[in-house]
Amino acid sequence: MREVVTMWRYTKMVVLAALTAAVYAAILIPLKGFPLIPGFTEFRPANVVPIVFGLLFGPAGAWGSALGNLIGDFFGTLSLGSLFGFVGNFFYGFVGYKIWGHMGWLSSGKGVDIRSGRQFLEYALVVFLSSAICAAIIAWGLELLGLLPFAILGSIITLNNFFTALVLGPLLLWLLYPRVYRWDLLWTDIMDEKDVSTHLSPGFGALFMWSGGLGGLIAGLALSTGLYGAVPFTFGAGTVGGAVVLGVLPFLALFFLGCLLM
Amino acid sequence: MNLYLYLDRDTFVHRLDPRTKILLLLASFAMALLFSHPFYVASVLGLILLYCALGGSLGNLRKIWFLLLTIGLLSLAGWSLFARGQTPLFWRVTWESFSYGLATAIKIDTMIVAGVIFLSTTKNEEVTLALIRLGIPYSAAFAFSMALRLVPTFAGTASTVVEAQRSRGLDLESGNVLERAKKYIPLLAPVFLNTIRSTDQLAMALEGKGFGSRRGRTFYLEIGFKKGDFLALAITLALLALALVMRMAGFGRIPGLSA
Repeated sequence: MREVVTMWRYTKMVVLAALTAAVYAAILIPLKGFPLIPGFTEFRPANVVPIVFGLLFGPAGAWGSALGNLIGDFFGTLSLGSLFGFVGNFFYGFVGYKIWGHMGWLSSGKGVDIRSGRQFLEYALVVFLSSAICAAIIAWGLELLGLLPFAILGSIITLNNFFTALVLGPLLLWLLYPRVYRWDLLWTDIMDEKDVSTHLSPGFGALFMWSGGLGGLIAGLALSTGLYGAVPFTFGAGTVGGAVVLGVLPFLALFFLGCLLM
Repeated sequence: MNLYLYLDRDTFVHRLDPRTKILLLLASFAMALLFSHPFYVASVLGLILLYCALGGSLGNLRKIWFLLLTIGLLSLAGWSLFARGQTPLFWRVTWESFSYGLATAIKIDTMIVAGVIFLSTTKNEEVTLALIRLGIPYSAAFAFSMALRLVPTFAGTASTVVEAQRSRGLDLESGNVLERAKKYIPLLAPVFLNTIRSTDQLAMALEGKGFGSRRGRTFYLEIGFKKGDFLALAITLALLALALVMRMAGFGRIPGLSA
């Protein structure tokens, strides 16, 4: 994860982080979508920004997503939850560039310009993991503070992020990648190799990231809804508080370990 | 295009150092989180509303009343179902889980109100300078500050693109979810391309002005602690200490709740 720190030495990367943050926050306003659950959440086209800009601009996209989400909260929803929104959105943008090309036979072996079925499959998997870990971190944080049950936020964030990025992302990448490549603005073209983390063990890293991200979300949902040990067709008597927080924590730790190995 | 909540007034809260306001914000969050009984959390909300009135920011709450209401209702409904208690009310909702849901709804709204006070009384430039003074690296704080400045510009660009495409017949209101989602492509692509194209120019402009060339920096805006800051911090610390003592003495809990 060295590049997450060293990117701040590059003026272009600082500018890209600022632009990502600004565009993320800005398109939340005039392009407000239609509600998925009226009053609670909506289809937000802006959710595609962290994925697309993360894949193109690497750590600048990740930091920009985190800052953009925080700025979005400056329009009336700034609270302690914003801290977990910051971290969750950072990883929503981080996972894509980190894991692309490192998922063994599931990887397409090509760039992020989605032009083939194999690239689309890899893209869909990346979006799913990004959405899952973003949801797990935010839902875990709000459960830790006792503000919202994991099950509510975890499921809504995962579906919202995944659906938006899956529908809008491939077309946008298909349009943007050739131009960004031509303008020498891909993060790998801007940063020196010495400032980018060496892959300690990409295979184990990807495995841990998947196990931690997906496992965290599943464990949180299962514990929170009472799915674990529940009788079919009944509303589970879920667990809240300590059990969910402690149950999800090892998976989040595993995910972070995976990030360090990548 | 002014999108922000900042209100240009000359109140006691406006005159406080932004670092003091950040600390007051964190203390407000902490006090709201200490209790789980609706009465005690409502008392904290009362204090925060008093602070809001001192900062002349009550008007901004009108802008977000619907948001406060919906978030409150979501929390009330969620915790009523997910938390567990001993006194049945209806279906699987107990008196304890309902009370906890109500307390959490007030808690979340209290934190949002505290955030609104901070944003209504603190300029974006002050927020950035406070972050730098609190130890955030200058490059990161600068990116944050630059993004804050660019949001209205980009929001304006996005609005222009939306209007231009609508005038050409783009209908965002019809079709199923997938069809409607795809219609955002001709809106997002120009906004993204416009943004990305400005990267080189901005980077060159910054480097031309010596961005990152020296470690030490001076700022046009000056901030510093005054008597009012010490007074506000002393009152806040006393209230926080009182809340902590009450929490440790067992006040503010809901007997029979297992959340």
